[in-house]
Amino acid sequence: MSSNKSRYGLLFSTVASLFFVGCGQQQPGAGSGSAARGSVRISPRTVIKYARGFRIDYYDRYRDVSIVHLNGGKTDTLHYLLVEQGVEPPADRPGIPVITTPVKQFAVESSVHVALADFAGVADRIVGLGDLQYVNSPVVREGIRTGKVKQTGIDNTINRELVISMRPGVLIAMTNPDAALGQYKAIIDAGIPVISDAEWLETTPLGRAEWAKLIGALVDKEDSVGKKFDSVERAYLQLAAIGSHATVKPSVILNMPFKGVWYLPAGGNYMAQFLRDAGAGYQWMDSKGTTSLPLNFEAAAPVALKADYWLNPGDVDSKNDIRAKDSRFAAFQPFQKDAIYNFNKRVNDLHSNDYWESGIVNPQLVLADLIRILHPGLLPQDSLYYYKQLK
Amino acid sequence: MRLIGLLVLLVMAFVLDLCAGPVRIPIHEIFRILFSSASKNNDWYFIVKNIRLPKALTAILAGCGLSVAGLQMQTLFRNPLADPGILGITAGASFGVAAVMLSGGGMATLYAIRELGLGGSWLIVGAACSGAGVVMLFVLTISSRLKDNVLMLIIGIMMSSVTLALVSIWQYFSNPEEVKDYLLWTFGSLSGVNGPQLPIFALAIVIGLVAAFLSSKMLDALLLGENYARSMGLTVKYARVVIVCSTSLLAGSITAFCGPIGFIGVAVPHLARLFFNTSSHRILMPACCLIGTVLLLLCDSIAQWPGSDTVLPVNIITSLVGAPMVIFMLVRKKNLNIYR
Amino acid sequence: MSGGSPLLQTSDLQTGYHVAGKKLLVSDKMPALHLGAGQLICLLGPNGSGKSTLLRTLAGLQPPLGGAIAITGQTGLSSAGLAKKISLVLTDRIAGNNLDVYSLVALGRYPWSDWMGGLDESDRAAIERAIESAGVGPLRNRKLHTLSDGENQKVMLARALAQDTPLLMLDEPTAHLDLPSRIRLMRLLHRLARELDKGILLSTHELDLALQVADEVWLLEATGSMHKGAPEDLILNGIFEAVFAKEDVTFDRATGVFRIPPEGGRPIALEGGGVAGFWTRRALQREGFTVTDNAGGVVITQEDGRTIWMLNGKRFVTISKLLAALNGLT
Repeated sequence: MSSNKSRYGLLFSTVASLFFVGCGQQQPGAGSGSAARGSVRISPRTVIKYARGFRIDYYDRYRDVSIVHLNGGKTDTLHYLLVEQGVEPPADRPGIPVITTPVKQFAVESSVHVALADFAGVADRIVGLGDLQYVNSPVVREGIRTGKVKQTGIDNTINRELVISMRPGVLIAMTNPDAALGQYKAIIDAGIPVISDAEWLETTPLGRAEWAKLIGALVDKEDSVGKKFDSVERAYLQLAAIGSHATVKPSVILNMPFKGVWYLPAGGNYMAQFLRDAGAGYQWMDSKGTTSLPLNFEAAAPVALKADYWLNPGDVDSKNDIRAKDSRFAAFQPFQKDAIYNFNKRVNDLHSNDYWESGIVNPQLVLADLIRILHPGLLPQDSLYYYKQLK
Repeated sequence: MRLIGLLVLLVMAFVLDLCAGPVRIPIHEIFRILFSSASKNNDWYFIVKNIRLPKALTAILAGCGLSVAGLQMQTLFRNPLADPGILGITAGASFGVAAVMLSGGGMATLYAIRELGLGGSWLIVGAACSGAGVVMLFVLTISSRLKDNVLMLIIGIMMSSVTLALVSIWQYFSNPEEVKDYLLWTFGSLSGVNGPQLPIFALAIVIGLVAAFLSSKMLDALLLGENYARSMGLTVKYARVVIVCSTSLLAGSITAFCGPIGFIGVAVPHLARLFFNTSSHRILMPACCLIGTVLLLLCDSIAQWPGSDTVLPVNIITSLVGAPMVIFMLVRKKNLNIYR
Repeated sequence: MSGGSPLLQTSDLQTGYHVAGKKLLVSDKMPALHLGAGQLICLLGPNGSGKSTLLRTLAGLQPPLGGAIAITGQTGLSSAGLAKKISLVLTDRIAGNNLDVYSLVALGRYPWSDWMGGLDESDRAAIERAIESAGVGPLRNRKLHTLSDGENQKVMLARALAQDTPLLMLDEPTAHLDLPSRIRLMRLLHRLARELDKGILLSTHELDLALQVADEVWLLEATGSMHKGAPEDLILNGIFEAVFAKEDVTFDRATGVFRIPPEGGRPIALEGGGVAGFWTRRALQREGFTVTDNAGGVVITQEDGRTIWMLNGKRFVTISKLLAALNGLT
């Protein structure tokens, strides 16, 4: 465990034990049959440092996962109780969905969920996937081939009967938790808990990756997932230190306009954080907001004309593709200087891009790519993992 | 004379549209770039030459095309509510675009890219044209068997319903990005036409307009209804073919290059009739061109003017600006007889 | 009357429609028809006898099911060719009510103007002649939607005249007009036939007006056959009555009107002729009396220039008072 973690854990257990002592004996007897009058907080086995969309509170007989949807000023929190197999769910938390852990089978909707499960080492427990076309994980692809993994559909086209007949321990959905889980009602009523994953709302790359700890909690592997995340975090922070201290910050333009609108990430967006950590100059680094700015092509064009690098240009594979989309793009400096890089190096035969799968849980690899692109020679080795140069 | 007034308005609207945009460029600079192809600021040059100028030219072409197509449809069907897409042309074009943009279109896209060598924005244009073309052929085939125009109208409306329903099915099964992209396309945009696309678009519009002008005499005769028109020597079937082809070319190409733009096609013919107080197509057609162009240029300028870096889709502005305008003019002139 | 070679000729003509691949005959037992320059022919017949179908077929708007039609001696003319021979006035509503009268009349020059619709000197002269002949000069700058029905009809006639064709066909031209307008229109048509030497064919329900202006009547029967001849011949031959006969309607040959015959018919004698006698007879018939020429009933006399009715010794100064008294007696 990192020093941070043990300090945190010590503090927590101190407070918890004081609470324990101060409030007297509350733990019920083993065979009492009736639930405790109140639940007791205990020290967490996993601490969430970067992710703001979920938290896990540890109690003596269960864990409380709350998924927080932060949208402007409004917060909407959904709770799930993780209860060990064979243990009675607490009586003082009625109406909250209960998930029996460790979860033996998962139904997931997107490849991100596959990556999170893979990070936790339990990709083999996936039995249902939203769209079989979008997946890179070899484990799951093998499962598809043998018929173990079935296609379930996504959101309002989900195949409810199939999911119910699969009896997974939990269904991880892509729905915005703000929306009522009405379409999943039948599945919930059948006794299958549905968790809404909101990792895409995180504003930092590490925060996104940290959602793997949620899976870890679901399969009782908090320790190993925690260790793995720590090493990712370490690597990321080291790279960020190098990148953000680079002396020269080349200017960067991202994405591609469509029909006169150029969507560019706002300052609070995770992509902006990547650029900050990679030592890039980005015109809208200080803008407010966590999503995208819909800019007029004309407003962004002057930046593009003079940019040093063009990153993430979208669904293109070569300079010809870019020119075919709009001949004006050929006037941009990155086009003329061959400084265009796209993260579609790892696209498999199903046209599924691994950047959107393992890339979520490997922010350090993405950051390393960016630093290599923007500051050649700064890092020992120069080969790119997710990114490639467009010719 | 009113004509002079409109021409002056046109020039003003054109200049206004060139000035509109988030980057402030002084007028004299704009003129310098237009006429002498040079500027002290490369950014400004790029913006005026490659962004604003093609957009303004597109607005002119689309304004002419939509209003003339709308005029033809209103006369042919003797229906003041007819718009250029009433035969289902716009729906057919949307269908073609949906086919390549939404989930069903993976195959269609790959085919187009590999076999036909269409990439990028040409893919969408080609798909839209194909969709519009199929509908046009269908309508022409039907029209040769029909005695009555009303049936053609009904068939056009049915085609629109069917294609839009199919598009809805695709949307239902697509992922959010695809749906949002398609939605953005349906908002319409005058900024997508540039480079090699502009001359082709201009050619299509010019051909359509010429065909329309040549049929002004036929349209005048059709004002009296098919019986009178026939008694004066008009071959109604031939007239229908010319009118349908001209309208399809205009409406189809505009939808293909700019997305579906509404309202202009319906409103401008009425404005032209109000303004010039005539039903004669020889005057109405050029009038529609002028008024349609001015209106679209103005709408485009307004769409940019919020001054901020964002831009509104032109479709929203045409309705928001145009509808009150028509209501205002209608209320002032209380006689509704002139619209029949 | 009928001078020169006929402008319109038919032989063995059959009119009707193609419905779902089958022929639906409307009229098929017709004699050969002729219409010459300077003639005005009225097409008459009860409802459903096929007047409109016949007119539209002759005008070239729909094809005949059998037989041949020759216009100025030519058969198989195209639309454009027919346009220079036949002009029409129909009951169709037209769009473009924002047209002014001059523009509408100018549209009549369609077969003669150039490909862009431009008008030259001869076109303009023809338009002026048409406007003058139809008597719509004062209306020339008015918009169509501001015209009354009668004015509208005259304007449509002007348009047809501007088309400058030897033949003019009208379908129910008096349909929406009030009585004075109807009379004026018929008189106008009669004059145009004579003065401009046109052949005019019109279909109408206005029997009495038709009888006054028609040189010849084509009387269609619901069975599909047709009788033609001078209107007076058709009346005297009893054909008129036969065609229009219904159980409760009779055609009075003497007066040329249709009457609903009185029921019952109490006899009353009437003495007195002239205009007063004519109208008194009608009033009595309306009240249900059968009028005889015997003596001993109503006597009409003149006193100081006024008409007085005498009955059973009483004097009445108006017919209505006479009738009131008669009704009171029974």
